[in-house]
Amino acid sequence: MPTRIRLQDGGFSLVEDPFTAVADDLQVPPGDVIISLTRFQAEGERLLSEGRAVGVRLESDEGAEALAYDLPRIAVVALAFPKYRDGRAYTSARLLRERYGFKGEVRAVGDVLREQAGFMLRCGFDAFEPADGSSPEDWERATQRFRHVYQRGTDARAPAFEERGQ
Amino acid sequence: MRALTANRLIDGEVVFWTDGRWVERFAEAQLFADDEAGEAAEAHAKTEVTTVVEPYLIDLIDAEGIWAPLSYRERIRALGPPNHHDHGKQAEGGAVVEALLNAHGAARSTGRVNLIKRK
Amino acid sequence: MYQYDAIDKDFLADRSAEFRGQVARRLAGELSEDQFKPLRLMNGLYLQLHAYMLRIAIPYGSLNPTQMRKLAEISRTYDKGYGHFTTRTNLQFHWIKLKDAPDILDALASVDMHAIQTSGNCIRNVTADPYAGATAEELDDPRVWAEAIRQWSTVHPEFSWLPRKFKIAVTASVKDRTAARVHDIGLAIRRGRDGALGFEVMVGGGLGRTPYVGSTIREFLPAKRLVSYLEAILRVYNRLGRRDNSNKARIKILVATLGAEEFARQVEAEWEKAGDASDLPDTELARIRAAFAPTRFETLTARSEAFEAAKATSPALARFARNNLKPHKQPGYGIVEVSLKAIGATPGDANAEQMEVVADLAERYGQGDIRVTHEQNLVLPHVKLDDVAAVHAALAAAELATPNMGLVSDIIACPGLDYCALANARAIPIAQHIAERFADPDRAEAVGELKIKISGCINACGHHHIGHIGILGVDKKGEEFYQLTLGGSGAEDAAVGQMLGPALPANRVAEAVDQLVEVYLRERQGEERFLDTFRRTGVSPFKEAVYADAH
Ligand code: SF4
Repeated sequence: MPTRIRLQDGGFSLVEDPFTAVADDLQVPPGDVIISLTRFQAEGERLLSEGRAVGVRLESDEGAEALAYDLPRIAVVALAFPKYRDGRAYTSARLLRERYGFKGEVRAVGDVLREQAGFMLRCGFDAFEPADGSSPEDWERATQRFRHVYQRGTDARAPAFEERGQ
Repeated sequence: MRALTANRLIDGEVVFWTDGRWVERFAEAQLFADDEAGEAAEAHAKTEVTTVVEPYLIDLIDAEGIWAPLSYRERIRALGPPNHHDHGKQAEGGAVVEALLNAHGAARSTGRVNLIKRK
Repeated sequence: MYQYDAIDKDFLADRSAEFRGQVARRLAGELSEDQFKPLRLMNGLYLQLHAYMLRIAIPYGSLNPTQMRKLAEISRTYDKGYGHFTTRTNLQFHWIKLKDAPDILDALASVDMHAIQTSGNCIRNVTADPYAGATAEELDDPRVWAEAIRQWSTVHPEFSWLPRKFKIAVTASVKDRTAARVHDIGLAIRRGRDGALGFEVMVGGGLGRTPYVGSTIREFLPAKRLVSYLEAILRVYNRLGRRDNSNKARIKILVATLGAEEFARQVEAEWEKAGDASDLPDTELARIRAAFAPTRFETLTARSEAFEAAKATSPALARFARNNLKPHKQPGYGIVEVSLKAIGATPGDANAEQMEVVADLAERYGQGDIRVTHEQNLVLPHVKLDDVAAVHAALAAAELATPNMGLVSDIIACPGLDYCALANARAIPIAQHIAERFADPDRAEAVGELKIKISGCINACGHHHIGHIGILGVDKKGEEFYQLTLGGSGAEDAAVGQMLGPALPANRVAEAVDQLVEVYLRERQGEERFLDTFRRTGVSPFKEAVYADAH
């Protein structure tokens, strides 16, 4: 079974991925799947009624609000990085967590490099499909690089202005 | 006529290709009369990713006896900045440096072969 | 001045260590150049024509003497003993080796400096009024807000991978010395009817390929809501800014496409939804404000007899005072402009010895405060008038006292084709030729305020669009040519310059500037500046003079 890096209880580990990512031109196989927004809008109802877990992949030009009402039924939102410099998914992840209260898995897919780890973690991602062969240890290290942060993120870290107040 | 140039990864120094190695002086650059040989060298250079950054071929013209880069840009790379004649390669002097400093002719501002429309 | 605390210092150390690791991975071949480039750029490291260039952030243009000395030391140890102050109030070293870059970042961190986010598609160094804390004009100290923005924008989790770079300016005076209207966001401090502090928020200004003067999207933003409002703007931009074409990716294109009103509506809607969670608590604002507490000044009379007497005997000092000394809010003090525009020198360049002279003077006479201006000069913001003669003498000995602030020879020029890998043409020699042509200080003073700005390519680092006379290097049939524009301004009367006519060859540019100046002197009425005359007469008389031969 394929794997992805998961953030669980503050640690990174390689865990099996029960989801199959299905392209729009392929048949939906049995089991848990991640499908495009377009497909979800057309077939989501039926797939969910079959009792399986369904995830949705948002391209970087698709906003999180498109899923606002469906989120309670969705297991995974996979946010695509077509290039690692394309930073739209950071906003989507934050909106999913902060505005829509999404508790499921937010997964980074596409051009995902360990250099982005710190940013992703702070915006609410908790699953990663790295494209650079990096290991959970690499991700652990990358996210621990900075002892302080200056802003409030979706994680629990206290920004500098709070640390100073203590 | 062409030459193959790049910047060295570790320090950014402008370097030129000569028979399988990189040298700092334009005077020692290998001259390619044959496009194919130049392109083969360029293809090889592109694999040397921990030695140089972005190797590319430049066009040369016959400027009163020496082969000079066609463009100002490449002349400036081969010499150093015009505002500090004591900085960069030109500081060392020598016949080729002198000739390049004085080279006139059809200089172009962009010297990369693939950016110039060749007739 | 703001002092870095343990948190700020740890942060710089961590960042430096991170970059050291990235450089090692690049040298070992674990990172490709494509992967490494955005990482080195986020640490200000470019590969230019002759070597790497390191762009060091000078947050809101503010330096202390220790920092300035460290820059001098770095220039001697790792460069060729000089550096270039830019229109972004940063400092660039042109001869850096990749293998030295981590050591340089450590050296910078030792004096609370860095190169974080001086390049890349992220929020860049904030510009603030170089006269902050010294001018009587200001409603508040813009550095307080600039420092708040520095912290908020540093390694921002959501806004570090924007469609394109992002520049913010803060000004608090009627006279705008930051070019706020041509920044992605310009913030002008205002007072509300009830006396409360706030900002006029201007968005979508910018130079480059498609220059725009920014639009005001909010007349008055309560000051304490600044960060949440910035987040709302950045969020709308991060989502909707174009990513398919880097020439159209700046926020100015988004604002122009949506229209300022629609853009403002989206920002307001987002701001309302997001609430005030990201705003800084009052305690933190108070902490930052305390760091910029007014300098302790001596009680002096407005007039310094010693200074008046010295001026009476030294025409050079009198001239320096007329052009380089600006009024200070405190009686008996002045703001001293240090010119990095000696006639024939490279605009914005300072060598290590000059940096040390400025550091020494700041320490001895200037309350340890140094500023960098976007016009590529330095400022000693707090000098007693009693000391100006001594400061002038020391500056003059170091060729830093050229009395030309705001005059025709105070030219902005980017590095251009002398150094820059993107350039079409050289900018430095053009600046040198023009300055030499106007070397006579009497003539320069008679001409009065005239801002000439030169860029070596359309990226407009030399701000040519907002020069009273703008000069853009272009590649015309493979030769260096120069396109002139007239009537631009980066000040409170911001405007984009208007094209004069066909581009000129290099050897015609200085002469053309001379012809433009002659037309101005002929046409000017009363106290008009060059810009005023141009605005009244339009381009025709100027065009006729420069292109007379072409008929
Ligand atoms: S304007 Fe162009 S030539 Fe000048 S520094 Fe910027 S990119 Fe380089």
